[in-house]
Amino acid sequence: MRILAVAHNTFREAIRDKILYVLLFFAAVAIFGSKLLGWISIGQDIKIIKDISLAAVSVFGVLIAIFVGTSLIYKEVDKRTIYTIICRPMHRFEFILGKYLGLAYVLALVTVVMAITAMAYVTILGGSIDRTFLMAVVLIYFELLLVTALAVLLSTLTSPILGAIIVFSLYVTGHATGIFVDLPAHFDDTFAKHMLEIVYYVLPNLSNFNIRAEAANELPVTGGYFLWAVFYGVFYTGMLLVVASLTFEDKDV
Amino acid sequence: MGAEVIVTKDLTKIYSGHLGSGAVRSLDSLNLVIRENEVFGFLGRNGAGKTTTIKILCSLLRPTDGWATVYGENVRSRNARRFIGFLPENPYFYEYLTPKETLDFYGRLNGLDAAARAREWDSLGELLDLHRIANQRVRGFSKGMRQRLGFAVALVGDPEVLILDEPMSGLDPLGRRNIRELILWMRDAGKTIFFSSHVLGDVEQICDRVGILVNGKLTTQGRIDELLTQHVRQVEVILAGLSEADAKAIANGADHKRVSEAGRHFVVEDPQKADALVRAAQGRGAQLVEFTPIRESLEDYFMREQGDDS
Repeated sequence: MRILAVAHNTFREAIRDKILYVLLFFAAVAIFGSKLLGWISIGQDIKIIKDISLAAVSVFGVLIAIFVGTSLIYKEVDKRTIYTIICRPMHRFEFILGKYLGLAYVLALVTVVMAITAMAYVTILGGSIDRTFLMAVVLIYFELLLVTALAVLLSTLTSPILGAIIVFSLYVTGHATGIFVDLPAHFDDTFAKHMLEIVYYVLPNLSNFNIRAEAANELPVTGGYFLWAVFYGVFYTGMLLVVASLTFEDKDV
Repeated sequence: MGAEVIVTKDLTKIYSGHLGSGAVRSLDSLNLVIRENEVFGFLGRNGAGKTTTIKILCSLLRPTDGWATVYGENVRSRNARRFIGFLPENPYFYEYLTPKETLDFYGRLNGLDAAARAREWDSLGELLDLHRIANQRVRGFSKGMRQRLGFAVALVGDPEVLILDEPMSGLDPLGRRNIRELILWMRDAGKTIFFSSHVLGDVEQICDRVGILVNGKLTTQGRIDELLTQHVRQVEVILAGLSEADAKAIANGADHKRVSEAGRHFVVEDPQKADALVRAAQGRGAQLVEFTPIRESLEDYFMREQGDDS
């Protein structure tokens, strides 16, 4: 109940935040503007619109997760609203989880709104929505959950600006973790290779959630892969939230 | 003597500087016992360690050393926090909520069901005059309104102990009087109240006991009447039926201030000398009309405790 009270309040705060609507506006512009690129790619317009729409859902979702998530806890401490909350008979991790779930609600709402807009637009333009497109939207949401958990962890540690820079860097790196293991042969058995392998396994591999190309080209994705990606997201997100809770447990506020 | 409610033992807080440099000892081996249904005033200059102590009691800070308990439960435990209602200095609440939504939120955090939360709103809203601003957002609230809301939030869940950090700070005289009355009302309701303040006149009026913190160390704690009785600054003596010549003869260093209808007024620095003055006057046929020890005010005492630092 306490977690839900904090979550409900966080949701209420976020949906009253103007930045959410600004980002949603730009997401809509990107989705509807995808038609422009569709025109210059003859016969590929639906494919391009699907690809750009899914990219817009992902990018704008990530921007919301980063901008709101990295200030989520920091702002409570900075504005001292936290004083009257964590002195209540509640665990600190309940506060962290509540804040996280509140933002997860918001992102679910935003993802659904953006996805419905994209699907309606694709349908109006004569395209069809298949199972892979829906799977891609769900995996984008799980990616957003992971990025949000990372942002919340950073929010317990540092300022929103530094946190946003770090999360954004990890987001970019997380989409290209393959470079840490696809090294030329002369790196074999070197210290650098072993270190980069550790980095590869520690950093979130966000490309696991990226099936946008398959969705745009209407290629099938197996249920097994989908479930594995969901499990990866849930596991990684859970670990990040545990670390965030432990970090916050003994923090002086 | 009531049961021990808040106990601190060698409570110490050291804030470490960046990269381990410039550590500041904000609180140094604080030992305190606050008893049931007591109003305890915690005094000290800015930076003396009052807010640090309060934050440790409310589990916002971890002590570097020592411990603190509330009703025998370590303040780090969730159980201890069941007993505590906390009003921070300049309380901050979510600006986008109304007082009713705010109390509902804190009621949920205290685990109250919907009916209990509605009852809390009815009673606390009435007590703190929040009903008429029930639907205004906190964003536009004055200092006094925020303080009233802060008290209501602190009282959600009917805690036994109230910890108030500078509850009178920044309020006008009327606002301060309202807070004083509220604190006395809470004491009459059986609560134990621990509060810090700079407003010594208010502390003197409502506290049973005080503690004075100087640079993180508790230099004094005790009942105000006991602390101040030990420090009689002067005695005013009024003697009737004493001639001017006799007055000069027996003065022995006493300051003969003036003559009124009641008699001759003397101010004596030393109470023993005042006794001697009275005996001498009575030996010359005068009558003692008034013998008034002039005690230190809490402010005098506080300033003296600050020593050279003040």
